[in-house]
Amino acid sequence: MGVVSDIERQLGKLRVLEEADGMPELRTSTMTHIVWCPPEWLAKAKGTLAGLAERHPARTIFLIPESGRKSEVVARAELKGFQLPGMAHEVLSEVIQIRLRGDAVQHPGSIITPLLVSDLPVFCRWRGEPSWGTGELEEILEVTDRLVVDSTEWRRTPAAYGDLSALYERTAVSDIAFSRTLPWRRKLADLWPGIATIEKLRIEGPRADAELIAGWLRSRMKREISLTRRNAEAVEAIWVDGEAVGHGGDPLSSSELLSGELDQFGRDPVYEAAARAALPTPR
Amino acid sequence: MNDEANPLLEGLQLRRRPESCAVVIFGASGDLTKRKLFPALYALAYRKLLPEKFAIVGVARSPQTSAKFAAAMKKAVKEHARDPFRQDVWDALSRGMRYVGTDFADAEGEDRVGQVLEEIDAEYGTAGNRLYYLAVPPQAFAITVSEIGKRRHKEGWVRLIVEKPFGRDLTSALKLNELLHTWFREDEIFRIDHYLGKETVQNMLALRFANGIFEPIWNRQFIDHVQITVAESMGIEGRAGFYESAGVIRDIFQNHLLQLLALTAMEPPIDFTADSVRNEKVKVLKSMHTPGPKSVVRGQYGTGFVEGIEVPGYREEDGVAPGSLTETFIAAKLYVDNWRWADTPFYVRAGKRLGRRETTIAIQFQRAPHPPFEAIAGDGLRPNVLLIHVQPDEGVSLAIGAKVPGAGMTIRTVHMDFLYGGAFRTGLPEAYERLILDAMLGDATLFTREDEVEEQWKLVDAILGGWSRDRPNFPNYASGTWGPRSADDLIHRDARSWRRH
Repeated sequence: MGVVSDIERQLGKLRVLEEADGMPELRTSTMTHIVWCPPEWLAKAKGTLAGLAERHPARTIFLIPESGRKSEVVARAELKGFQLPGMAHEVLSEVIQIRLRGDAVQHPGSIITPLLVSDLPVFCRWRGEPSWGTGELEEILEVTDRLVVDSTEWRRTPAAYGDLSALYERTAVSDIAFSRTLPWRRKLADLWPGIATIEKLRIEGPRADAELIAGWLRSRMKREISLTRRNAEAVEAIWVDGEAVGHGGDPLSSSELLSGELDQFGRDPVYEAAARAALPTPR
Repeated sequence: MNDEANPLLEGLQLRRRPESCAVVIFGASGDLTKRKLFPALYALAYRKLLPEKFAIVGVARSPQTSAKFAAAMKKAVKEHARDPFRQDVWDALSRGMRYVGTDFADAEGEDRVGQVLEEIDAEYGTAGNRLYYLAVPPQAFAITVSEIGKRRHKEGWVRLIVEKPFGRDLTSALKLNELLHTWFREDEIFRIDHYLGKETVQNMLALRFANGIFEPIWNRQFIDHVQITVAESMGIEGRAGFYESAGVIRDIFQNHLLQLLALTAMEPPIDFTADSVRNEKVKVLKSMHTPGPKSVVRGQYGTGFVEGIEVPGYREEDGVAPGSLTETFIAAKLYVDNWRWADTPFYVRAGKRLGRRETTIAIQFQRAPHPPFEAIAGDGLRPNVLLIHVQPDEGVSLAIGAKVPGAGMTIRTVHMDFLYGGAFRTGLPEAYERLILDAMLGDATLFTREDEVEEQWKLVDAILGGWSRDRPNFPNYASGTWGPRSADDLIHRDARSWRRH
């Protein structure tokens, strides 16, 4: 039996068990949600999925690339039930965990394609820095409507924004790091028109967030703005030409941020321009 | 420099936020304020949808301090809000909260309301903008409108949310409209029908006009008939004073039910602006012809069982006259006389103490013209039904025929379900949240316009005129059932039947 048939059989059995109470539960899916998740990210990714709860009923497919030469695919399916307040029905979401080893790591496409929910959008949350130019990324991009990354998880920031920009014409891209800066960007927008003459930006925060805020300002203003940065876990403070900007507000959780991204369709030209403008200037 | 010139605003997902304003609730000690209005305002504050400069003034007869009023509203929010209670949200909401105890007809008291509002403008920067919410009994309506109108502030905007019942017949509705227009323009008047604020009612527009598959078959050629049900399992819940003079025809039929019908039958509007949508609805209401006496049935509930508990009949409810002839049930066959709907019946029914609580719109399509499987059908070949669940279990389901697995060709009806809460986030916003926010923004799309109200009353008056000539034999249905036998006869005459579940 192939791995896809095995997954379908597992799901079929689980559905029968769920219906044993006589009340057929509903599976209203809004998307297929792929998570490319190297083992070191698995715990975090599962935590984020749990935080999403019933907000995005989906077939979620965890693809876990593992080390090992022997080509192997091991799959496990489960159903997650969510009781909705005031409703007789429960909502079920499907979670499929696929461990890939050996050559299978580079060829996930043939496993994902038959598991996609027909006619619904496909989102891929890629944990860590995408492996640019590899077979696995190429095959996933073939079936994905939107690639969701978090550039704070990358090692090569801001240079890797160049690799990311090569994907813009192929699929919609969003970056949770950029979404995280939204409250700060709103604060900066409130400073208009005073901010129109900005020359120097100073940020206390993670590299990705800082580079993207600076890139965003450069792309919106269409000119160079210098950035200095002091590292911090999250953006703590911003100074515009030496003047402190009011605090951006409470940060959203990783689940809330991903949830926001899963509601977005289509390209985000503001992000694309910001990420391009965040690239180091050639010397 | 204006916002258009600010290049930083693009893509910031900024929601339209209302301008600074004060909300003034007349009838602030009533049930509506506690159960609906304050929970709705709290939900808006919770989502940061209220203006930064904002204040609430409660006005009611009962004397109490602002602090006591605030404490009562805090308790109401804790009991009825859909979001968890957060002290910081409450603090922001109650910061500018004031209460004025006065009779609505008392000029001195009304002056005090005006003074409080001026103080609030100075203290909180509400800029003279006022949203008045009239949650007052019908007898206090005229005087409250006049007193507000006389004290109309010269600066800022004024908007008035008017609760139902809007009159008790066409004559009184015309008078109320005239009175309102003495002081306010039509675009300042927001006649609320909270059904229009429900997500599922708005979803009817999305279903019809955002999906290419439905509109081509949404007409007399493909639809056999439409059934609209607004059923409640509860009784009058201590509202005898109101209900005795209203009955279900004024309580539900004149407003909610006819609005649901208008949304179901309307032509596509050219856009989603207030006037475009309301123009199309009013065309439907104008196209409805007056039903004859045989096409309308009324009823009143007697004793019976609801959810296993024996409940009293209407005439045994507190405050109801022992020989009351007030109807608690109505069923009617209505026609929309236009190109799209000619000869397609709209069967509507509404009532109290019915089999269960449900509001649904069922679109029953024509049967398949030549079903080759009929001789071996499992439960008979049923027509397709598109069922819109307005409440509860908000969503849409489509009944289709499917082959039962195995040998032979047995067909069974199955449902394809879309559960609203299952596909999107849970906790659909309460209707009042959307409507209060829209009124603050000045968007009247989901409010009823003067001419709609008048058309609705014309139809109701015609039905009431017929009823005045005979004396019904009440009670005529047991609580917990689906209304009187005559309601079944009404639809059985056309070889059709009411949906039971």
